[in-house]
Amino acid sequence: MGTTPLERLIDHYERRYPVTADGPVIGYVGQDVPVELVTAAGALPVRLAGRPGTDVTAGETYLGRGVDRWVVSVLTRLLGGEYGRLDRLLVSRDCEASLRLFYAVRELRRVEPGLGLPEAYLVDVLHLPHWTTTRYDRIRFAELVAVLERWTGTRLTPAAVAAAIGLHDERRELLRAVSALRRELRLTGVQALAVFGAVLPVAEHNQLLRDLMESSLDVHSGRRVFLTGSAHDTPDVYLVLEKAGFVVVGEDHDWGDLLASRLVGEPTLDALVERYQYNGPTAARASIADRAAYTARAAVECGAELVVSYVRRNDDAPPWDFPAQAAALRAHGIPAVLVDRQEYGSIDLAEVPVG
Amino acid sequence: MVEKLLASATEATRYQRAWFRDLRASAAAGDPLALVNADAPQEIFRAMEIPYVVNQWWASVVAAKRRAPHHLELLRERGYPDYTEQYSSISLASLFEPDPDAAPWGGLPRPTIVLGETVGDGGRKIFDVWGQQPGITYYALESAAENAVPVNWWDLMPHDWEKAIGTARLDLMVSELHGLIRFLETTTGRVFSERALRRVLDLVNEQAEWNRRTRDLIAGTTPSPLAVTDSIPSVMIPQWHRGTEWARDAAQRFYEEVESRVRAGAAVCENERVRLMWIGRGLWYDMDFYRRFEERHGAVFVWSMYLAVAADGYPRYGDDPLRTLAARFAAFTDQLYTPPWSCEWYVKEAKLHGVDGVVHLVSDDARGSYFTNRALRAAGIPVYELHADNVDTRSYQESTEQALGDWLEREVVR
Repeated sequence: MGTTPLERLIDHYERRYPVTADGPVIGYVGQDVPVELVTAAGALPVRLAGRPGTDVTAGETYLGRGVDRWVVSVLTRLLGGEYGRLDRLLVSRDCEASLRLFYAVRELRRVEPGLGLPEAYLVDVLHLPHWTTTRYDRIRFAELVAVLERWTGTRLTPAAVAAAIGLHDERRELLRAVSALRRELRLTGVQALAVFGAVLPVAEHNQLLRDLMESSLDVHSGRRVFLTGSAHDTPDVYLVLEKAGFVVVGEDHDWGDLLASRLVGEPTLDALVERYQYNGPTAARASIADRAAYTARAAVECGAELVVSYVRRNDDAPPWDFPAQAAALRAHGIPAVLVDRQEYGSIDLAEVPVG
Repeated sequence: MVEKLLASATEATRYQRAWFRDLRASAAAGDPLALVNADAPQEIFRAMEIPYVVNQWWASVVAAKRRAPHHLELLRERGYPDYTEQYSSISLASLFEPDPDAAPWGGLPRPTIVLGETVGDGGRKIFDVWGQQPGITYYALESAAENAVPVNWWDLMPHDWEKAIGTARLDLMVSELHGLIRFLETTTGRVFSERALRRVLDLVNEQAEWNRRTRDLIAGTTPSPLAVTDSIPSVMIPQWHRGTEWARDAAQRFYEEVESRVRAGAAVCENERVRLMWIGRGLWYDMDFYRRFEERHGAVFVWSMYLAVAADGYPRYGDDPLRTLAARFAAFTDQLYTPPWSCEWYVKEAKLHGVDGVVHLVSDDARGSYFTNRALRAAGIPVYELHADNVDTRSYQESTEQALGDWLEREVVR
């Protein structure tokens, strides 16, 4: 374990799995899972990431060739027990690949129970900006509360939910401060991803983030690039870009800056529902117009010199966003490039203008 | 090109051409026109007498005319992907056609409203692009999912749909329909009558019952009186006109024609040795494909989802018309693509039709094939996976036919 707060956070990220925890552990897939409720239930929420460059035959057997490879990798790791002890699994519908993962796990538990996959529950948070959608999401949150109570034996009292919301909102505020450090080039993109994605109880995470703010950090240099397109559950693509002389100063996916874009703001279940409904805008769930406006604003705030839309094979939404994003960025004089149909964990730098 | 065996198919095609001509005239005169996804509640438009074109039907016309590559090029020129969701994006490309005279059927008239559910990741974006065009409004419908579902949806759906789908999804879809109706009333000036909707729903159920009789008749008849190339136009063109008396009567005529062939002992392939099931969308750019295995292998494609889902997927009975309609669409795609519903239904249908083998068209999209194929093989039915897109000819391998033929001889013909 490293000694500085940054090193310790990176350790917690790089050694995310297998999970070691005393209490109940609930794995989750996708940022639409309200982790506040898992915390309120006294369990550790552990977000599941894939692992590029490894054999995913097992996952591909069940999910086929048309699913975003990070999810194929997650299923492969689940089947291989790589995450350690996961008592249960929550899967959100943040994108089609996540939904397909849920269906695969549900069906495998029915027809091939010997595989030993954990019990899974779908968190069906919908995102259209209508009150009818809010009403639906509210029903699903209430059902999730009941499921978590059954799984953990812990009552999710309003006080427990309020306390958890407070902790997670505090983390979001701290992560916003991390984003500000990136813009000053006091963190690289690779480091920022680790700081965001470290796996540990939220209170401990918050303490390390506070320590990070007070620590001495190097100042980096490089061409400032903003990443849009696919989400990055691992730092592989960031590493390639930063080795090539870029610094990833921001992104609009939910393993990075987008995690903290919206607070709950009020310690109630209803406020939590609205936070998740209106969270984003993610590529898979937001409109082209919302994405273009957000990407342009965020890239400007980051002082980006270039925006790269990196899109993995079988990640269907981002390439549709790109023409409008490029147009919105042009208005600010920021060039944008689309690097699409990339393999999981790698990027073809020939497509990215260097220098 | 395979000649049409059935008068009902010839009549359906004639009707469709006349309908499309009138539709173009109506749009040119400034009437509202909707473009709707195949799995969207078209019955609302029918009840309000708002003309509509089905997105995927138009894509099938473009593909049948071998114009899909050109359409995909039009998308690529505008910076949009030409390699994903082609079946849903081809109609959008028609909007960018610089030479309408070269377009199939005189070209797709410009819609004023587009309606689609927020399923998948790319589908919604395609409709976003529609909505960015001048004079076109995109109305998005939510699409919800469920945790636990009873397997036998085909038994439950006609009457016990609340049990099959779940209250939360139905409540949401009903509220979506309320919103859609108010939107259409406001933007088109057309009137929504619940009485009119009840009539539409009755007609749709009657049509579905005729389709069920036809499906059952074909399932129980060997040798098969017709191939899927005969049944698809006879069932699908009326499907896109469902809720009209013409469509209901067309379904009845289709049944009567099949029944007459069965009574006469007519067979599409006198030397039938193998009954095949085609899982997946139609291979619109090469419908002759389905017939080329008859002479060489005595293999007849007796099943496609089009008649089967018309039989099992549409009937809904209930007192509350909006909730009943919601029950048709709140989980429609799950019937075809989500395990356990999809795979258990395909097994049920395979057994009903006594098929000897299954050809499963698998596109490079997220729906996957494992669970369906596993269930069929567990039931003792050989499965061949054919990897191709159903409208994008670029994805089709010339070696496919030979490989499929080899598989037939090796694993199916005994």
